[in-house]
Amino acid sequence: MIREFTFTDVLYLIAAMRWTLALTAIAFLGGGIVGLTVALLRVSTFAPLRWLGALYVHAVQGTPLLAWLFVFFFGLSIVGIEVSPWIAAAAAYSIYAGAFLGEIWRGCLQAIPRTQWEAGASLGLGFAAQLRYIIVPQATRLAIPPTVGFLVQLIKNTSLAAVIGFIELTREGQLTTATTFRPFSVYITVAVLYFLLCFPLTQWSRRLERSLHVAR
Amino acid sequence: MSLVELRDVVKRYGQNTVLNGVSLSVEKGEIIAIIGRSGSGKSTMLRCINGLEPIQGGTVAFDGTIVNDRATDLRKLRQHVGIVFQSFNLFPHLSVEKNITLAPKVVKGVPQAEARRLAESVLQKVGLAEKIDAYPDQLSGGQQQRVAIARSLAMQPQLMLFDEITSALDPELVGEVLKVLEEMARDGMTMMLVTHEIGFARRVADRVVFMHEGRIWEHGAAAETLGKPRTPELETFLNAVLH
Repeated sequence: MIREFTFTDVLYLIAAMRWTLALTAIAFLGGGIVGLTVALLRVSTFAPLRWLGALYVHAVQGTPLLAWLFVFFFGLSIVGIEVSPWIAAAAAYSIYAGAFLGEIWRGCLQAIPRTQWEAGASLGLGFAAQLRYIIVPQATRLAIPPTVGFLVQLIKNTSLAAVIGFIELTREGQLTTATTFRPFSVYITVAVLYFLLCFPLTQWSRRLERSLHVAR
Repeated sequence: MSLVELRDVVKRYGQNTVLNGVSLSVEKGEIIAIIGRSGSGKSTMLRCINGLEPIQGGTVAFDGTIVNDRATDLRKLRQHVGIVFQSFNLFPHLSVEKNITLAPKVVKGVPQAEARRLAESVLQKVGLAEKIDAYPDQLSGGQQQRVAIARSLAMQPQLMLFDEITSALDPELVGEVLKVLEEMARDGMTMMLVTHEIGFARRVADRVVFMHEGRIWEHGAAAETLGKPRTPELETFLNAVLH
């Protein structure tokens, strides 16, 4: 049955945004933990750890996120392990975001001159203390803009979770289109909602970029 | 026993031999100036002493501890060997006080109030007591370098290494840094300095070491070595830097 695209549908779309946000939060949190680990592996002084980090990044960046979602949701259930969509999504997005955040943060850590590490080492600080007190505080400033940039990508990429049953913003749009047959109005609304999530973030990131340029 | 003892030290970067059998001993309280053309291995030798550069042959010993022994705890060693770099390498995100107190607090567990007093006292020595709350980018090059010296002094090292510490400074700022070195020399600090300031070396150093092609080419008492070079290489070098 075909019905009109009404304000109620818009409210449903807005409501579906909560899954978009929840997925983004999980992906960012999980990806942050994985990413931090990867970044630290990549700057380790022990070569095999660096190789391990590089292997991970190349493997994940060379495979589609969709494939990871399939692996965790459908793949595991075939071998007899039932996985809830939340667990599957959390795992797949953490793996995916971890690789990208890891690379971003590695770049920021490596952007701090070697001489800063040397100055710390020469004062008797160990590797962990050099990282904690000297390198990370400086790298964090560099990391904020690209990290926010990736967060915006992440928000949009949560739409892929629709394939394992999440009715987030894009999927809700598809469902609404199916009943109202108004793809243009519906997807424009979906696009506007994504824009309202992402635009403030990119603006905030640009402001940070400007202010951190001059600030210590 | 000498405070620093280098024996047949060899350092290579790939095929390139930077130090080719360097032996030198430094006694407590001595001031050694190391001169030579760039690429002669001066800085590398200095950096081997606190273990910043791993070596491929020979031994480096500090106060009886073999620096290039894998079992040596370099963190412990570096508490006793301060180094000041050409490019200052202050921590730009920390105030002068925090730059100075970071290592004493983290490495030695000095409490905050005492650390602040320590910062005040070492800043006094380099004549920058009023800059304790400034940030590095608010200071001139000469002031930054004096803070870097103060930062090293705060660890109360037995030996100070200076790696061309005036080379990045505008000429009018060199004097204020050299003055600090002279005061440290009067206090009896053992110092090894790589420098292009020949006049300063002659005035302050006990001994001068001239490096050439990865070896100690000539070395001896400062005034003698600089006044009457025995090798044509040192003579050429001195002529080049003095004119």
